[in-house]
Amino acid sequence: MAQLVAIVEDDLDQRENYADALVANGYEVLAYANRSSALAGMKSNLPDLAILDIMLENEMDGGFDLCRDLRAFAPRLPIIFLTARDSDIDRVSGLRLDAWDYLTKPLSMEFLTVRVNSLFRIVNSLNEPEEIANQHRLERGDLIIDPNSMSISWQGQPISLTLTEFWIVEALAHRPGIVKTYDNIMQVTRQTYVEKNTINGYVRRVRKKFIEADRDFKHIETVFGVGYRWLK
Amino acid sequence: MRANSNIQQRFGFSIRTKLALVTILLLAIPWTAYVYVRDMKTFLLAGQENALTLTVRAIATVLHDRPELFLSDEEEVLTAEPGDIYAHPLPSYINLDGGLEDWGEQILSSTTFAMNLEGELAENLLVRHTVGYRGAYVFAFFDVEDDFYVGRNLEWLRLDTSDQLRITLQSPAVGENRYLFTAEEPGRMSVYLMDLAWEYPLSGDPNYDMAANIQSSNNGYRIELRIPRYLLSSDARIKMEIVDVDDSLGRSVQDIVPFNPETASDSLSRVVVSSPEITRILRSLDRPDSRIWVLDEGGNIRTVLGELGQLDDDIQSNTTFGYFSQLEQAYNRLIAYVFALIEEPTVDSVAAGEADDPLNQEIIEQALEGTPGTLRVTGESDSERVIVMAAHPIWLADSVIGAVVVEQSDDEVLYQQQAVLEKVIGATLLILIGVIAAILIFASRLTLRITRLRNATDGAIDRDGRIIQTAVAAEARAGDEIGDLSRSVNDMLGRLSQYTNYLEGLPDTLAHEVSNPLNVVNSSLDNLSKEHPLSADSKYMTRAQSGLQRIRSILKNLTEAANLEQAMQLDKREVFDFPKMIEDYVDGCRHTHPEREFRFSIFKQPLYINGHPDHIAQMLDKLIDNALDFAVAGTPIRLSARELQGHAILDIANQGKVLPEGMAERIFEPLVSLGRSDAKKTRLGMGLYIVKLIARFHQGDVSARNNVLGDGVTFRISFPVTTIESVKRKISEAA
Repeated sequence: MAQLVAIVEDDLDQRENYADALVANGYEVLAYANRSSALAGMKSNLPDLAILDIMLENEMDGGFDLCRDLRAFAPRLPIIFLTARDSDIDRVSGLRLDAWDYLTKPLSMEFLTVRVNSLFRIVNSLNEPEEIANQHRLERGDLIIDPNSMSISWQGQPISLTLTEFWIVEALAHRPGIVKTYDNIMQVTRQTYVEKNTINGYVRRVRKKFIEADRDFKHIETVFGVGYRWLK
Repeated sequence: MRANSNIQQRFGFSIRTKLALVTILLLAIPWTAYVYVRDMKTFLLAGQENALTLTVRAIATVLHDRPELFLSDEEEVLTAEPGDIYAHPLPSYINLDGGLEDWGEQILSSTTFAMNLEGELAENLLVRHTVGYRGAYVFAFFDVEDDFYVGRNLEWLRLDTSDQLRITLQSPAVGENRYLFTAEEPGRMSVYLMDLAWEYPLSGDPNYDMAANIQSSNNGYRIELRIPRYLLSSDARIKMEIVDVDDSLGRSVQDIVPFNPETASDSLSRVVVSSPEITRILRSLDRPDSRIWVLDEGGNIRTVLGELGQLDDDIQSNTTFGYFSQLEQAYNRLIAYVFALIEEPTVDSVAAGEADDPLNQEIIEQALEGTPGTLRVTGESDSERVIVMAAHPIWLADSVIGAVVVEQSDDEVLYQQQAVLEKVIGATLLILIGVIAAILIFASRLTLRITRLRNATDGAIDRDGRIIQTAVAAEARAGDEIGDLSRSVNDMLGRLSQYTNYLEGLPDTLAHEVSNPLNVVNSSLDNLSKEHPLSADSKYMTRAQSGLQRIRSILKNLTEAANLEQAMQLDKREVFDFPKMIEDYVDGCRHTHPEREFRFSIFKQPLYINGHPDHIAQMLDKLIDNALDFAVAGTPIRLSARELQGHAILDIANQGKVLPEGMAERIFEPLVSLGRSDAKKTRLGMGLYIVKLIARFHQGDVSARNNVLGDGVTFRISFPVTTIESVKRKISEAA
């Protein structure tokens, strides 16, 4: 059975394009134009994944509100924000609502489907027995990366990262001591175009999350003007 | 950073100076007062003249048609024995000091005597002599030319052994008294009542009825004598003789010169005091501070009555001490100075007569011709003093038999004028000081308020024109024009900040609005290439993608500045070694731009600063991009780190185009660009603006200037250095 993706986007053209791209990749798609219809539709027909725009018609934070409403009856539903709003504050508020990722427009359809695929893979792996899950585990000292569930733990504590953040940490930790340039990292984030500054922002947030778990965390080093590297 | 450096130098005067200049106009007040006071003086003098004219007329009227007043003397003289001594009225009392000055004109009428008792010419002896009267005294003057002055020898009891003056007074009541005047040396003479032979005094005690003084002169000596009038009643007779002794050893009497040339005998003379009748009449008319002269037809003085008062000099006589009196003295000196400064002579420039006898011949002659007149003259000795004179003829039927002259000094007028002037000057000074102080205080307050408003206004907008405060608190509640100004500045700032907010938000809004349709295009192109795989390889698809890429880049640029400020506020600062960070950064640059040469020199290390290394790296990205863009190919980018006045400094220099004039400041403003080197690279002019934002967020600064050699541009960023102590504190806190 094809997985059901719900798209909430007030712009008809974009909504249709997302839907077309996802349908072409074999997903079932339900598209909504505003918060009330989306809430009503998803209540009756719960999707496997939801992609939300933040500004919905004349509601500035319609997407955030919708996310809260969805969490009320579907706490484990993977949610991706896809928005034109690119401020740190929006990112932080979006992720605080337990969204799985926060993407900014414009985004290539190819990368959108990659993400949707990845997220479904995570969902599936979470349902798999543990032995299989541990099969491809990557261990770097205190760092344990599970590529199937796309989860990371540091000194045994799970670190809650978004999809993009996970990809960055995975890329850095894959070859410790080797510098990942901004270009490399940009590829990893699977977004069309990412500024150095945006990458810095991702890394800052990642560090912060590690530091919350371990005050002495210093394993991600900035190589100014070039990129970052994972220290052994 | 305050924007004060941008205040233009004010030219022209400050409000305070202007108001101070305006207050100078107030000086017109004392000037006007002075003019009034002067007019008043003229007026008072005219009044005094009138009064004097009336007085003189009144006196003349009393004397009209009374020829006997003038004739009685003549008659007396006619009926007198020959040899009467005629005593003239004197202009003033005589000081018994041997000086001739106080005798006035009277000295001219002195007579010379040289005959001795035998009627022969005395040997080596010549006496000039005159007699006058004043008040209750008769004065006599003897100017003796004598080859040897022989003073009294106190060892000798006989008194006829020195140069001496002998006076014999005879009256029916008293009988005959012989007075001898002698002195050991010049000075006061001793007076003795003598025996008949003039040899011995009747008693050893001197007599004090009369007084005399002897002074030596060039060729002899002078004696001044004072005799009370009561000794010379009308039936009294007098004889005066100068006795000459030349031989200081033998001391025998050489010669005796009597002052009775007509008789040359030892008979006595009568002293005739002129016009007692007129004097009596006039005494009732005597006025203080005035002098009345009566002259006869021939211009001879018949009588003089009264004294000209002396000007009170109480200003100089002030001898008290202490702070207040010093102040008073200073004030008095000021008044005196003001007087000297503004006083102009108010009299005709008529030459005055002698100091104590300003009787002017001209108006007397006029009066004697029958024309009354008045005159003002200044005393020679005292230029401040003005004597007002009035003369009037005395008529007998149609002929003039004499004249009355009244003199009065203008002391009273002067005194009044000075009093008024003092009051005026005092009052004006007080008013002036008060008004000037008030104006200065007012002006200072006004200036202070305006300055406060100016400073507040300056402080509301920073050096780059960004609004820091949307309201100016200074003077906002004042009810006057300055308050209005403050409120309108507030209003202006409010509207300006709304507009600025709109402008600052514009790129963000624009980017947001553009990114949706952009996403439509983007996703449509994606779907299109999926649907028609052939189109995916089309060069047009590639170009459309690259165009989209550029639009995206533009949007990122536009929103970067706005997002940056939020990001910096959210992030935590850390203390790090600035030169070390730059060194790492330059290593990175060498890695990412292997084709370019980077030279980095560190002049001081470590230099700790407190900030966000990421953002500083972001800032360096912009500056290095900029330097690479403008550097001539093959030339190195030079960086150097140093410390300067508590700031960590980084210079980034490249060779290439120089900054056009006036651009050095402007390039850091948003949307200002110096053109592009690569048409595909977006140059929105946001890069250097972001550099500036980051610098300012770190309390630092950034500036650009052309190289000294003029072959390129140097950018300089500076951040305040964090002290070792605060670094240590930070470290200890972390531990």
